[in-house]
Amino acid sequence: MEYTIKYKAVNTYEATVDEAFWQFLLRPEENKTQHVRISRFTNSLNTGIDISTNTFGFPICRVHPKKPFDAISFEANYIMSKEVINPFSALDSVANPEHYILIKSLNFKIDYERFLSTTPLTQLEKTQLPFQFSEERSIFDNLTELNEWVHKTFTFKTSVTDVNTTPVQFLEKGAGVCQDFTHLFLAIARLNNIPARYTSGYLHQGNGYQGDSQMHAWAECYIPEKGWLGFDPANNLIALENHIKVAHGQDYSDCAPIKGIIYSNSAANKTSYTVEVNARAESDPDVFSENQLFEPLPFKQQLAFQSQWQNQQYQQQQQLRQQLDADEDQAL
Amino acid sequence: MSITQQSIFASYDKDPKFYDEIFDEKGNVKKVYQTLFDLYSGHSSQDFAKLNDKAKASFFNQGITFQVYTDQEAKEKIFPFDLFPRIIDTKEWDVIEQGVLQRSKALNHFIWDIYHDKKIIKQGIVPLDLITSSANYLHQMIGIDPPGGIYNHISGTDLIKHADGKYYVLEDNIRCPSGVSYVICNRTALKRALFGVFNHYNAHTVTDYAQNLLEIMESVKPRGVDEPNCVVITPGVYNSAYYEHSYLAKSMGVELVEGRDLFVENDFVYMQTIKGPERVDVIYRRIDDAFLDPLEFRPDSALGVPGLFSAYKKGNVCLVNAPGTGFADDKAVYTYMPEIIKYYLGEEPILNNVHTYHCSRPDELKYVLENVDKLVVKPVDEAGGYGISIGNRLTKEEIEKVKKTIQASPRKYIAQPIMSLSVHATYIEESESFESRHVDLRTFCLLGADKEFVLKGGLTRVALKKGNLIVNSSQGGGSKDTWVLKK
Repeated sequence: MEYTIKYKAVNTYEATVDEAFWQFLLRPEENKTQHVRISRFTNSLNTGIDISTNTFGFPICRVHPKKPFDAISFEANYIMSKEVINPFSALDSVANPEHYILIKSLNFKIDYERFLSTTPLTQLEKTQLPFQFSEERSIFDNLTELNEWVHKTFTFKTSVTDVNTTPVQFLEKGAGVCQDFTHLFLAIARLNNIPARYTSGYLHQGNGYQGDSQMHAWAECYIPEKGWLGFDPANNLIALENHIKVAHGQDYSDCAPIKGIIYSNSAANKTSYTVEVNARAESDPDVFSENQLFEPLPFKQQLAFQSQWQNQQYQQQQQLRQQLDADEDQAL
Repeated sequence: MSITQQSIFASYDKDPKFYDEIFDEKGNVKKVYQTLFDLYSGHSSQDFAKLNDKAKASFFNQGITFQVYTDQEAKEKIFPFDLFPRIIDTKEWDVIEQGVLQRSKALNHFIWDIYHDKKIIKQGIVPLDLITSSANYLHQMIGIDPPGGIYNHISGTDLIKHADGKYYVLEDNIRCPSGVSYVICNRTALKRALFGVFNHYNAHTVTDYAQNLLEIMESVKPRGVDEPNCVVITPGVYNSAYYEHSYLAKSMGVELVEGRDLFVENDFVYMQTIKGPERVDVIYRRIDDAFLDPLEFRPDSALGVPGLFSAYKKGNVCLVNAPGTGFADDKAVYTYMPEIIKYYLGEEPILNNVHTYHCSRPDELKYVLENVDKLVVKPVDEAGGYGISIGNRLTKEEIEKVKKTIQASPRKYIAQPIMSLSVHATYIEESESFESRHVDLRTFCLLGADKEFVLKGGLTRVALKKGNLIVNSSQGGGSKDTWVLKK
């Protein structure tokens, strides 16, 4: 599959800003299933851009304007390809006691310590665990059920939480956005000895729709013998070709798409972000579309659409799997 | 004893419970102090009152003050300086020097291991929780190789002498320990006030510290740099240790900068100068980890340099000390220091650790519960002296209460024997005479690439309140010049 991604941030300030630094973590990760063919990052002041890497090795862009200013906007454009992922590759419903022995071993805990430790944004006491894992089930099934449980139990609602909301606060509120769903998921997975990392990226929600003007977040968990697999608790999805990964970290603070340090006499400012993800044909010309006018579908509806589609897929897989199991039983 | 001698030492208590640095058990002056004692005894208490004023004036004239904040106003105060120096002979000093060097090296190996393979945890010597639960363990440091492989370039190990006459380590400070400027200024003040006395002893200089610090900084320069540009970064003039920051920069002949004087471009650090930007290679930072880089750590930090951490990660600049050393100098890790030294260096520890009982171990828990009155019980994870109970100061009911608290969660507590700090003759303004007061010793050890240095001297801190064991300057402590004798 081919995607075009457009990220835009517009900042206007009431008082002139004397000095400012920004850092952007927006470029889709280069990995086995993703490849960025063309990328462009511009800003309205035409300030030079620094390329660096963050602490997890993901490429970042930095902007440090040399002159005072009242407004600045940034735009990132990417044309990339993403492999269609076989959803069967992730399935693993056979409980393997050795996996549970492995994840409880000291060496495993040491090697995956970075994604097993709690951080302020993923803090939850063992006694507060609202969802129980069972060793009778596979790790994958436990995580799938956790994914579903988080999705069902909490309401997707903007403006009730912010980037500093903790899982405990999210539990109390009962509503939040994708990073809250993800932080709670991470906290529960980690307390069950499963290495889990915060993942930021873009969600393709079908053509003709603009995004929710935000980047998306989900969790990646390490499953023995399988490796890292993405779970999207905000939508109850397994991350496949519609989830375009940018970066991972311990929690949101490692993956913030934009970080800014502003030195100004007035803190008052207006900021707006938009994100657009569109599928494209490989034969489409390599230009960045400027004005796409589509009627946006309300976000909840988009999610419902997405979720429905993937649930169907998942149920089909499960049925097929059961059928295969049944066939095997018969053969025995 | 002459009459004057009696008068200036008239109110000196000799308490056999404590080790006395000046007098032996029979009340005779120790050999190393004899010359000093004879010279002092020839003066009257009026002379000492005058000398005391002279020494104080020397501190004000050198500008060595620290700020004390009260309700509304900030007061400039001098760190009280004592006229009676501490003298350490060569033999005793050699043990201290080898001992603190050994600890600094072991800690450096330990930090490297924790941010790389964590072998010491895999071997079961140090528990994983001990590290990951520390707020000062920075996951950002995982896998980073600092220039020269050095993390704790500067270590300040605090020692006390117990009633048994042996040195014990109280703690290691590897988060940019302060106090070295006082060591040097104490020497200057003492020489001004009492040159006739200093002259009778052959003591090592302490003013070579700055030169050695600069050499250590230059030894950990980034790859490909011939003549490194070194700077000292300070939080600013309002910081209580600002004097020290400016003193060190001045005596090393390097720039003293604040965060806003530096900027990062393409992962290189530059300093704004009137001649344009100038590259910076080694930074002695007196800013806490959390404030170093607002893009990586606390975003509200106005003291740091945006992008500094990624320049460090790339190896384009060296930070002295490295970020993330703080997990290794905390109380819980301290108790593992003998094992840490043995594991990395294959040596027996030269300096004693205060023996620690881990309440998580059943037989040690039993001992602790039976001996609460003779022990100091400390929670493992609290800092700043909270939750500490000192056994011999507790009532019977309080002892029972402490026992119950320990039994409820034994893993949370450690216990140590009650240590007594040695006493030293100290000039007391109110009585215009020398009295015995408790002292400790902060040493300064430097590690670089193929270079190491221990300052021959140190900061002897003294508790000026009678009977007080707390020597911190914020608690009314003063300091003494410390002479290490040449062979």
